[in-house]
Parts: sequence; C-alpha cells; structure tokens
Amino acid sequence: MIDDFYQLNPYELNKNDKEILLRKELMLLTEFHRKHCAEYSSFLNAVGYKEENVKSVSDIPFFPVRLFKEYDLLSVNREDVFKTMTSSGTTGQAVSKIFVDKETAISQQKVMIKILSDYWGKKRLPMLVIDTHSVLKDRKMFSARGAAIIGLNIVSKETVYVLNDDMSLNFEKLQNFLDKYKGQRFIIFGFTFMVWQHFYKELLKLGKFFDMSEAFLMTGGGWKKLQEEALSRNDFKDRFKKLCGIKHFLDHYGMVEQTGCIYAECEYGHLHASIYSDVIIRDPKDFKPLDIGKKGIMQVVSVLPHSYPGHSLLTEDEGIVIGEDNCPCGRKGKYIEIIGRLKNAELRGCSDTYADKFK
Amino acid sequence: MRINSNDIEFLVGNFDVLNNMPNVPVLPMFSDKAVDFLSELSKELLNDKRVRGYIDVISYAYWIRKSSLVTAKNKHPDHKNRLGRGIAFHIAPSNVPVNFAVSMTSSVLAGNINIIRVSNKQFEQVNIISDAINALLNGKFSNLKPYFCIVRYEHSNLITEELSSICDVRIIWGGNRTIETIRQAKLPPRGIEMTFADRFSVAVINSEKYLQSDIKKTAKGFYTDTYYTDQNACSSPRIVVWTGGKIKEAKEIFWKELEILVKNDYDMKPVQAVDKYNSFCSLAMSSQNVSLNKQGNNLIMRIDVKKLTPNLMDYKNGGGYFFEYDAKNISEIVPILTKQCQTISFLGENKEEIKELVFKNGVRGVDRIVPLGETMGLEFIWDGYKMIENMSRFVYFGE
Repeated sequence: MIDDFYQLNPYELNKNDKEILLRKELMLLTEFHRKHCAEYSSFLNAVGYKEENVKSVSDIPFFPVRLFKEYDLLSVNREDVFKTMTSSGTTGQAVSKIFVDKETAISQQKVMIKILSDYWGKKRLPMLVIDTHSVLKDRKMFSARGAAIIGLNIVSKETVYVLNDDMSLNFEKLQNFLDKYKGQRFIIFGFTFMVWQHFYKELLKLGKFFDMSEAFLMTGGGWKKLQEEALSRNDFKDRFKKLCGIKHFLDHYGMVEQTGCIYAECEYGHLHASIYSDVIIRDPKDFKPLDIGKKGIMQVVSVLPHSYPGHSLLTEDEGIVIGEDNCPCGRKGKYIEIIGRLKNAELRGCSDTYADKFK
Repeated sequence: MRINSNDIEFLVGNFDVLNNMPNVPVLPMFSDKAVDFLSELSKELLNDKRVRGYIDVISYAYWIRKSSLVTAKNKHPDHKNRLGRGIAFHIAPSNVPVNFAVSMTSSVLAGNINIIRVSNKQFEQVNIISDAINALLNGKFSNLKPYFCIVRYEHSNLITEELSSICDVRIIWGGNRTIETIRQAKLPPRGIEMTFADRFSVAVINSEKYLQSDIKKTAKGFYTDTYYTDQNACSSPRIVVWTGGKIKEAKEIFWKELEILVKNDYDMKPVQAVDKYNSFCSLAMSSQNVSLNKQGNNLIMRIDVKKLTPNLMDYKNGGGYFFEYDAKNISEIVPILTKQCQTISFLGENKEEIKELVFKNGVRGVDRIVPLGETMGLEFIWDGYKMIENMSRFVYFGE
C-alpha cells in the first residue's frame, strides 16, 4: 500500500529494499488496472503478461505514453474523475488526457511535497512564477506548464506570476515580491527557456544586482533550446549567480502522466528518483534494460497512478542512469541524466508516417 | 502570372520559360525528340561519377535507356493517335528523391510540357538529375528548353494556384494530406488530375514453395521491398500472408534470413522502435485478435493476427513492422483488399489465381500483382493508371 511509502523518507531506500517495495506495489497496480481498464487489459494480453513471470520491476510491461493521446484511459468511473490534466502540445498537436480522481490527486500532492521538502525544508515558501497567470486560465494552454505550476501551488505559501500576458516582465510585481520577502527563502519557478528569455535577459538589461541569494531557482522542461543558444547548464547557473546571487538550483524532470513523482536535482547536479518512482533505461534494439552509464529510451514507473493506467510508461525521451545509491549528496536510489526527446527519423517512402500524425 | 519570380527557385528552366509554356506546342506520344532526350539523359547519368552511391538514380537511368524506351513504345500501339495534353504540373513527394524524374518521364513521352515541383528537402539525387537535364538542354537539346521547369518553392497557395490554373494535367504524389492541400487549388475546366495517395501492400508466400526456393535471394528481394524504403513506400508489404502446409518451418527460416540482412544493413533509429511499439499497443487495445510474436524483436516486429479485418491497416507502421496471418485458403485475404491496398506480391502462388480473387470479389483495391522482390520495379503503369496514356489524349479519326 502507498501508506507503507509514506512512513519513509523519499530517498531512504537502497537498491534492494526499494526493488522489493516497488515491485510489490507496481504488481498490485498492474492487477488493479487490468481489472478496471478494459483497454489496458487487452494490452496486457497482447504483450503476453503473466504475473508469475515478474521477477523484478523491469519485468512489468511498459505502456507507450503516446497512447494517452489516442485513448481515454480510466480505471475509475467517469463520475469519479476529479480533474483532467492534459500534456503540453503545440497547436494542432494531439494532447494526452490524464484522468485523476481524488485519491490520486491527493497522493500526487503529498508526494510532491515530500520530495520538495527534502530539498528546501518543510516550510511552505512563497513562489515567484516566471510565467503569466493566463497559462492557467486558458484551457487550451493548460499544458505541462500549467500542470507543473498547479502542482507547485500546493506547496507554496503565496504565488506571484511575474510575466504579463505578452510575456514581458512585470517589474512592479517583481519589486514588490522581492521587497516583501527580502532575505527570506523563496522559490523561483519556470520553464528553463522562459526563465532565461523572459527573466534573466530582462534583468540583465536593467544592469543592477538583485539579491536573490536565498532563493531556489526551480526549472523544468529541458535544455534543448538553450543548447541551441550554446548555453550550458553551468553557464546558466554561473550567470544567475553573478546577476542575482542565486546559489540553489533545482532543475527537474517530470511529466503530466506521472505528476507528483518528479526527478529533482541535488546540489551535485544529479536528478534523483525517489522511492515513489524509478527509471529503467531500455535498449532501442530490443527494449532490454541497459546498465548504468548507457544511453537509451527511458521507462518510468510510479506508484501514484491509480485512476489511470500510468504506473509503468515507455517515454519518448532518451536518458542515462548515472549511478545508484552513491550520490555524494547522500540520497539513495538512481540518479539520472536526461538527454532529451528522441529524434524524429527522416523516413523514406511515400506514405504519411505514423509519427506525422502527432506533429 | 501573379507570382513573384523571387519566390521560386528554378533548378531547370527560368521564369520566362514558365511564362511562355501556354504557347509551346505539345509533342506526339513517343516522339523521337522525347525518346532521344531521355536516352541521352540515361547516358549522361550513367557517366556521372556521383551516381555510384545512388542505386535509385542508377535504376532510373537504366529504365530510360534507349532499348527500354523502344520496348515501351511497342507496348503502346496506338501512340500514333496520341499526343500530349499540354502542361503537366507534377508535385513530387517529399521523401522519394527520384520520383520526380519518374513522373516527368511518362509525361515527356506522352508529349507534355512539364512543371515539376520538387521537395524543399535537399537530395543529392535531385541535383544529379537536374544537372544532367541542364547539360542536355544547354547542349544539343536546346530545342526542348521550353518544355521543362523544375522548381522549388516554400509552401505557397498562391504559387500552387497559379501553376494549377495553367496546367492541363496535375499529378500529385501523396500522402493524403498533400493531396488534400493541393486540391484546394482549382484546375481549369478541362484539366485532369492524377493522385497517388497513401497505400499499403500485401505479400503472400506459399510456405512449401518458399522452402524449395533460393532463400537468400528471397530474403534480399523482400528486404528491397520493405526496409530499403523504411517499409514506408506504398508498395511495401505491411503484412505477410502464409499459405501451404509448412508455415511454421518456413516462417522460422524466412525471418532468420531477413534478420541477417537487417542487422547488417538497416539503421533503425530509436524513435522507430517506440513508433512500432506504439502502433502495436494501439492495435492491441482495439482488437482481441492480435499478439506480439515472441520470436520477433524491435528490428523485425512481428504481430500475429488471427482474423483479417478491413481496419487492420489503420494500425500499420514501417521500419520493420509486420502483420502475419496464416491462411488455409488464399481467399481469406479479401477483407483487407480495400481501396488503400496497392500491390500484392507473391511467392509460390499462382498469379492468375490472385487476379481471379480480385476480379471475382470485385474488391476496391489491388492495382498490381507482382513477384516478391519486385515491388519497387519502375513501370509505366502505376496505381492503376497507365501513366503515359493518361497523360496524353487520343485523337479519333475513324477506323
């Protein structure tokens, strides 16, 4: 039961203990979803799943994350759906629909708080969001950006959206916030590229030093765009340190399909899996699990998804497990590096490709 | 024309040639001019050192050599009654580099003046062939200059509309969305259109005959039919239907032999593994009749299908993704011979029998029935069209 997990600190378990706990819980979830979601049950049959063959977490079937875009997948009655979350997607793209009931929503919040408080303490902190408030208001825009903000809202004391609707920086709001929480711990949250484009660059133009030395700069959404500008993670951190005195950086990886179970960055720059979730890197050639240090397709498992069959997913991202149980920060479990989205193949032939449907 | 000349890149021809096209006389079908031009183009290509790496350009060059064209001419006995329709506007596909030239060839032989829009993607094959055409048009075939413009332009409704408004035949190579987009542009009242939409294809193999065949050669042929074009050509088999009494044995050897080639020659991208797995899972969730074959792997993903239904091909994929069906009788394939079905390739089956199946059942699909390994062959008949005839008109003057 999930309650067994709540008794523990989120990074407490070593490899063997975590494996036992996780395998048991994930098998229960697999069985639960088999019983309550007909499509998922067909999937299990087609891949030839047999409970007695599961020797480890990696033997639990992985379900393609893209299918949440094609099917409405629920393991609860529709009337019990408390909220529907959708994934990011540019205009015209199909979006994932994730049906969350009360129970799942509560566990998502609980786990998010447990993970984050391991980084910045148990106290609720004020949060400066580098985004516009309308990212939540407009249903069409309610994407991974919105979902991440909502998730964090729960753990924050006060939330201030510091961008105007046209993405310009609202200096007045910023100044008020900084005045109010001067010398105190607070969170700055935003998607990496937006933080760089709409926050850093704007502050730089003002040409003055802002004291944000107590802040945690929490980012997400990947580094691809900044890499295009030839800006490394370290450059990013150095620049913010210089301009605002920021010392605490907390990048994270997560997805709307497994909200709550984020992979947060420690002071050594590693993204950590908590006891609630894990990453298995798979070889594209045969989907067999790869060893530490090898690049492959990421499978993510999480014990939170109850109302929809999202507890074991094959993502479309590439990553590497850098190590396990031995990060100098002291957190147990795997720590990972995200390479980014799998590259689209330039296929030959005259047909529209399957992947095209989702562009 | 309302087109700004700066918006079009000319690989062959120029804006003046384009503007003058409505005034250029059409040629008779299989005119000496056209046949000479193409056979010289064949020589020009085969002399170009750059073609070595491009088997598709080489195949094309062989296809248009003199003897091959003379054979084709003999197969069109009514060519003396036929001449070009006028201006042919070809929209080539984005991912089959040599296709633009194949389309152009039928049209030149039909007697048309040609505007060919090639993809914005850069392909060396397109450069090689355009260079060769330019060399000829700037040399001894300068009299054919008015007949060719090969162009590139960014997606522009205006340009497509203008070019459509002056054409007599429009040839659109798919996919379906390209066709839908181009069709927004009107054709003149007498303009005709040929569209090449998304299709799928089927392979039928008799297990007993297969075991007696040259299995290495069959593997090579099937590889060419499928992986060579990422199994994404219209002619690529998406399903293998097995007949005869030794299916289990035949399957084992067939896929093992194919795997040797795939491992050596095919560069599967990680995203393709995910794509294929997605397609399979999506299918599995809507049908109880399928299961993943455990002997398969990500390079060759095999899906056992217990019952053939028309919607099976909604879940097709490429890059080494095969449905498999064991048939007691070949007539069991009728449900999948839908409009989208293009080619049936066969090994060890009687082609008359397959033809009979198509005709007797009056199915909407199946335009070609060819031996396994030959689905990629260049022909003047494609997708149910006799290409050269369709692009020309017949002048009736009595018996």
